[in-house]
Amino acid sequence: MKNLNILLAGVFAAVALPFGALLLSGQSQLGGLGRAAGEEGGALFPAREPGLAIQGREVYLSLGCVSCHTQQVRPAGQGSDLARGLGVRPSVARDYVLQPQVLLGDRRIGPDLANYGARTSQINVETLLTDPASSGVVWHPSYRFVEAAQRTALVAYLKSLRQDYPSPEAKLKK
Amino acid sequence: MSQDNRSGRPQGRPPEGDSRLSRVEASLRGPFLLFFVSAVVWLLAASLLALVASLGLGSLAGPFRDCEFLTYGRVVAAERNLFVYGWAFNAFFAVNLWLLSQLGRFEFRNGWLATLGGVVWNLTLTYGVARLFAGELNGFALLEMPREVGPVLAVAFLLAAFWPIVAFARRPTGHTFASQWFVVGASFVFPLVYLLAQLMVLWAPASGVVQALVHSWFVSNVLLLWLGASALAAVYYFLPKVLERTISGYYLAPVAFWTFFLFAGWTGPAALVGSPVPLWLQSAGVVGAAMLMVPVIITALNFHGTLFTQGGWARAWNDTTLRFVSFGAVAFTAYGALQACAAFRGPSALLRFTSFGVGLEHLLTYAFVTMVIFGAAYFILPRITGSLWPSSKLVHVHFWGSALGILGCLTAWLFGGWQVGQLLAATSAAHADVLRSESSWFFLLTVSSVLLLVGHVAFALNAFGMILKSSAPVSSGRHD
Repeated sequence: MKNLNILLAGVFAAVALPFGALLLSGQSQLGGLGRAAGEEGGALFPAREPGLAIQGREVYLSLGCVSCHTQQVRPAGQGSDLARGLGVRPSVARDYVLQPQVLLGDRRIGPDLANYGARTSQINVETLLTDPASSGVVWHPSYRFVEAAQRTALVAYLKSLRQDYPSPEAKLKK
Repeated sequence: MSQDNRSGRPQGRPPEGDSRLSRVEASLRGPFLLFFVSAVVWLLAASLLALVASLGLGSLAGPFRDCEFLTYGRVVAAERNLFVYGWAFNAFFAVNLWLLSQLGRFEFRNGWLATLGGVVWNLTLTYGVARLFAGELNGFALLEMPREVGPVLAVAFLLAAFWPIVAFARRPTGHTFASQWFVVGASFVFPLVYLLAQLMVLWAPASGVVQALVHSWFVSNVLLLWLGASALAAVYYFLPKVLERTISGYYLAPVAFWTFFLFAGWTGPAALVGSPVPLWLQSAGVVGAAMLMVPVIITALNFHGTLFTQGGWARAWNDTTLRFVSFGAVAFTAYGALQACAAFRGPSALLRFTSFGVGLEHLLTYAFVTMVIFGAAYFILPRITGSLWPSSKLVHVHFWGSALGILGCLTAWLFGGWQVGQLLAATSAAHADVLRSESSWFFLLTVSSVLLLVGHVAFALNAFGMILKSSAPVSSGRHD
């Protein structure tokens, strides 16, 4: 503990070990993942985001929506996400391979949005942003200041969020 | 508080006539005060934003509903960055520099470099937070600021915070102390971790969920290996210094140091249990979180063992520095135990996505780290400025505001998180019911945020009053 070089070498090793074991191994396992078909000859998923959705993702980031909304469905045994109907299968790593910034989130003040686009009972997001009370979601803050074009892009982004396609790693809930 | 502290008399003065010590302190005065004043200004700003955030939560359609730059997401991101990079980093630039200079009898001859680092750090942080308010956010906590901020902050960190390592290398004696190991380790780790995380998340983003993995590793390293290690260094210094006795079971301190640095970096993926990352990575995180109990238990034996002997707790209660530091030491033990329990799959399934995680983070960053910084400030500032604390009443207001405020916040986050977790686990509860349950804790959160703000304002008034009163350099004012 008296020799600075040994001390720094030990600390470096302590940091490098988890970096190599967790991050580099994780990258080597997941880094090569790409789009795949759930069944032979089927369409490739996840689908590419349309241009408007890419703009909407920027609005989502800019407003800080990730502070309150997650985008991940946990497997059975890890919470009640599937039982609550947040998705038809757990999220898998392949679902996120096309996303430039993965927005998993870690607070669920609002509902999870991983499958917003696949939901049958969608609320009107434009109304939700401008007048939450009239949309029936009184707890959502008002975003009246968001311009109409940005609102349209945000809606397109939310509708592009879906994990209801078959994936080689996860089966759809029967 | 002791009679000495009631009168605001500086604690821990060096023996009169020890000109070497006073020269050491005089050489630190400029950069120390720059770091410290910046830290307090950022703390006030962060406290105000925390109050705005809790008001926003409590009345989502409330006072800030039409204010674009005060959306909840932006305010929370700005508050987190100001609290960590503004308050805690600046404060540890100052405290670590002082600690290692004292322990290594290091006369600081390149103060302008540290000052330059501090100026660049704070200007860059101001720019980064302004961009956050303008809506240029990344989606990763503590990496939210625009990516061009990262390299500048890393260079500024090297200029401002690398001096403790120089002080360690140039110490005149062969003997070393636990505080020195922790500070050297912390100062060495942060730039490495920060640059790697910036690279793999923002500059050349890793594929898909690997970004989340890198982010979890980064957060655990920053919170534990920079903030946590620096605060542990301070506890290892101030506890024996003020109590005037050796640390109980001090021979275990090297084990605490190495196990802390060995296991802390593995705990990150414990925050991803249930996420779409491979199970073995999640399990590695859970094991890391459980193994972190080893240094937590050792530090508990060291700190609480010292406080339990010869009326240590009574003295801690009656001494300003020790009161804050021992509050932090207890909080660190509580944090270690809670984070290990919450990491396992059962509790994690219940508590993920609730405010419990926020509570755990604040148990570490406020109840432990910030309280220790406050304790250190009460010890160091009188020596650096050569002045007395202007008001003992403000010291009381500061302690009780901070202590009650953080206890209230922790109650709201931890118990509220537990309650919400149970509702989320029950499939019968609608999301509106879950939110209604959560909102019942928001009032306590708002009141606690007000208490914290009051405590911080009292601290700032006292500290700035003291600094303004000190006109002469410490060496001439105290010893000549």
